[in-house]
Amino acid sequence: MSQSAREEILAKLKAAPKAKPAGRPSMPPLTELSWDPDQLIANFMANLTAQTGVVHRVKDEIDAKAKLAEIAAEEGLTTVIVSTDAVVAPLNLTEWGKEKGIKVLTAKDYTDRDAYKDAVFMEAQAGITGVDYAIAESGTIGLIHDKDQPRLVSVAPITHIAILPVERLRPTYERVTDIVFADKSNLPSQFTFTTGPSMTGDIQGGQFKGMHGPRKLIIILMG
Amino acid sequence: MKTVSMFIPCTVDLFLPDIGEATYQLLKRLGVNPVYHEEQTCCGQPAINAGYIKQAKEVAKHFIEVFGEDGAIVSPSGSCVCTVKFHYPELLCDEPAWLARAEDLAGRTYELSQYIVDVLGVSDLGAFYTGKIAYHESCHILRGLGVSEQPKKLITNVKGADFVAMKFSEICCGFGGEFANNYPDISEAMVKEKCENYIQSGADLLLLCEPGCLLNIGGYLSRNHPDKKVMHLAQFLNDAIPFRGKEN
Amino acid sequence: MEIRTEQFVEIAKKELKNARNKQFLSVLPLAITISRPRSMQSFPDPEAANEYGRAVRAEAVAGMPELLEEFEKNALANGAKIVWAKTAEEANAFVLNLAKERGIQYVTKGKSMITEEMGLNDVLQESGIEPFESDLGEFIAQQLHKPPFHIVGPALNIPVEEISDLFIAKADMKEPTTDPVKLGYAARLYLRDKFHHLAMGITGVNMAVAETGSIINVENEGNIRMNKSSPKIQVSIMSLEKVVPTMADAMHMIRLLCRNCTGQKLSAYISIDSGPKKSDEVDGPEELYIIILDNGRSEIYQDIQAREALRCIRCGACLAACPVYCKIGGYPYGWAYSGPMGQVLNPLLLGLEKTQDLYHACTLCGACKSICPAGIDHPKMFLYYRVQEANSDKKAAGGFITNKTAKFFDLWRWGTTRAWRWKMAVKTARPFVNRYAKDGTINKTIKPVEGWFRTRNLPAMARKTFHERWAEINKKVTSDQ
Repeated sequence: MSQSAREEILAKLKAAPKAKPAGRPSMPPLTELSWDPDQLIANFMANLTAQTGVVHRVKDEIDAKAKLAEIAAEEGLTTVIVSTDAVVAPLNLTEWGKEKGIKVLTAKDYTDRDAYKDAVFMEAQAGITGVDYAIAESGTIGLIHDKDQPRLVSVAPITHIAILPVERLRPTYERVTDIVFADKSNLPSQFTFTTGPSMTGDIQGGQFKGMHGPRKLIIILMG
Repeated sequence: MKTVSMFIPCTVDLFLPDIGEATYQLLKRLGVNPVYHEEQTCCGQPAINAGYIKQAKEVAKHFIEVFGEDGAIVSPSGSCVCTVKFHYPELLCDEPAWLARAEDLAGRTYELSQYIVDVLGVSDLGAFYTGKIAYHESCHILRGLGVSEQPKKLITNVKGADFVAMKFSEICCGFGGEFANNYPDISEAMVKEKCENYIQSGADLLLLCEPGCLLNIGGYLSRNHPDKKVMHLAQFLNDAIPFRGKEN
Repeated sequence: MEIRTEQFVEIAKKELKNARNKQFLSVLPLAITISRPRSMQSFPDPEAANEYGRAVRAEAVAGMPELLEEFEKNALANGAKIVWAKTAEEANAFVLNLAKERGIQYVTKGKSMITEEMGLNDVLQESGIEPFESDLGEFIAQQLHKPPFHIVGPALNIPVEEISDLFIAKADMKEPTTDPVKLGYAARLYLRDKFHHLAMGITGVNMAVAETGSIINVENEGNIRMNKSSPKIQVSIMSLEKVVPTMADAMHMIRLLCRNCTGQKLSAYISIDSGPKKSDEVDGPEELYIIILDNGRSEIYQDIQAREALRCIRCGACLAACPVYCKIGGYPYGWAYSGPMGQVLNPLLLGLEKTQDLYHACTLCGACKSICPAGIDHPKMFLYYRVQEANSDKKAAGGFITNKTAKFFDLWRWGTTRAWRWKMAVKTARPFVNRYAKDGTINKTIKPVEGWFRTRNLPAMARKTFHERWAEINKKVTSDQ
């Protein structure tokens, strides 16, 4: 089926009369491009809070861990699942969990996919991840999913806490995708943008959070 | 004296000739010389909308022959102006000689309020009226021609008139030519809402610049709210300008 | 999915009487008059942003075959499996066979218009594979066996009481409730279990990027991310026109899509897949199938004017902009796509004969065209379909002008191309028409235009037409001079 379908569809498309669209205008202006770092931060925070995301600003890793503990206490977290990405790994959250009496899981604790899924769906009350890039224009965080950034950690638990080093903030999506998709021979299997918690307005247009993904998105902006 | 050629749509010719006469009087009062070619009939829009372009093409050619030698052409209907400006060049795209004439015509055809404000540069006609006025933004005038400020300027400059906002003034009244007759249930729901919004606006007069909308809204009001008034802007302005000397 | 496009008038009549729909639909225009302009204002130059998007769509459609080849090449290099399907049947058969082969019991789905178009749910269901729609609105619509009421909110019109009953019967909810949040949470729990043990997820595709071979999904609920993370098999289905040249193009189109769709700067989740999961990754699909479905589009592509319909990015802005949709809602359009989008697409995908009302039930007000981020001229498309209908001598919809239409317009052409004939016709018609008039107004029904007179009067034909008045004005002017 597929081979002949492919040939037939493409042949038909190619045999069709050619249209010449008018040339493309120049890329429309995006004010964010000229923002300085302070403006980037301010706009990132404003846009994210507009989407009911919560942002905490901390100065370093030590403060980040303190803030995490505060959030864990506030949210009553006893079990969390964490990524092992380049932002989170250096924090050594397993150690931190032991100190604070919080069970800290990582995907690497499981050799079996189903057991990992049980943990991320049923056990973890929150997922803690790093952020690869964040975008000021809409208060968005971008995650490159790989072995250290499993997909479900940021979407299955009811709370998502993400740690964002301030130097990873960019003004626009293109500034991020240009980097993430630069090496075409080694693209991330999945890259996601997240802007605020999961939401829906599907029942009578009334909006509420946490439809399938997290009900809360908490960002710790570090640096 | 500047001469301008009046393009009086068939709806005005047959059902609303007062609008035609008001157009004539207004233009004269503005110091231009309005002429009317008696050979004109209809612009062809009904056939275009029904898909009968072969017939529409011949009507378009007739129109071009009638108006071909004129300067500015002015009409009290934005919808018919859109037909001339946008549909004629499309209809005649495969006949280069006619296309050139159609494009030439398109460039000098104006809706009345647009002509008065943009070309003549007049936005205060010295009219008087005491009361609240709402304005219905007819689809082809607003979105087809991009004309909205011009009629509103003419209305807000009427002394004594109180221009009031009408909810959803830019939403279609449900006319749509054949639509009003072929989908009466939907059309009724649309014109009913338009009239309700007019009544809710608190205005005692609704103005518009499109004969089609006038037939629809006016027809609905006449049946259901006979005390509520709707008028074409040309006729309103002509009535609201005090008499100054000899006129025809 | 059952095609009911020929019952447009009948369903519209019924829907016009539905008070609940009315209440919901009456506020919908605010999305266009207030929310959309506000969200577009977040562009420094909204019109430039729109223009750029329209140009991207024009380019994407013009270069479709080459872009598809480039997309395929890069997607294969990423490790995705590409399946081409000419028809919905072929695509359905592929999905079904794959599911059977892998012993799949049930699948979950992200909201996808293309699978609505294919009627995939019915095919799976008939073979004992349970499909669960996982977008909340789509889940409700599916359980109620209703077509989407609106492309963005398929069940926006369904009252909470009805949803409560439904969830008790079909989604393991224990207590009745009218709280949308509690209802949503019941659906979350019910579907969460499905996601947890999921073996095969099915999604649509919002955009396919040629330069990287990536597919992109845009959503707010997180259900699509679940569909692409939990199962070992992911099937993503795209129609030909989803392909765009570059990632930067996709990003800009997503800016426009979100603003036009929900008024957001960006939806909660944008997920971009380039191939299946890598071997060291713990979640994500081991196999990623991308089905490229034609289903009539390569035929549409033969016609340069009809091809314009393929610009559509399914944002749904035209629905809220449409004064007809805002009166009748989505059901009368009778298929997967409703509103102006459906009026443009359905006639091409289902045939002009079955969809006459869709391209006639329009006042040509142009509101849809004025906001379309893809640059579709809807009224122009409808007029184009009407021309083809006129050429084919099929009966026009609505009933006024039937198979006599061509003759009517021949006569009309005769009457309008010479003023003397016009005047003669007026003189002949006037006494007949004005028999119905009283005090200058006609308020009795005149056949064959009874539709008009159902709720409206008409002025009597002028005692003196403008032509006749002009003769008098002219005489006076001449005598004065």
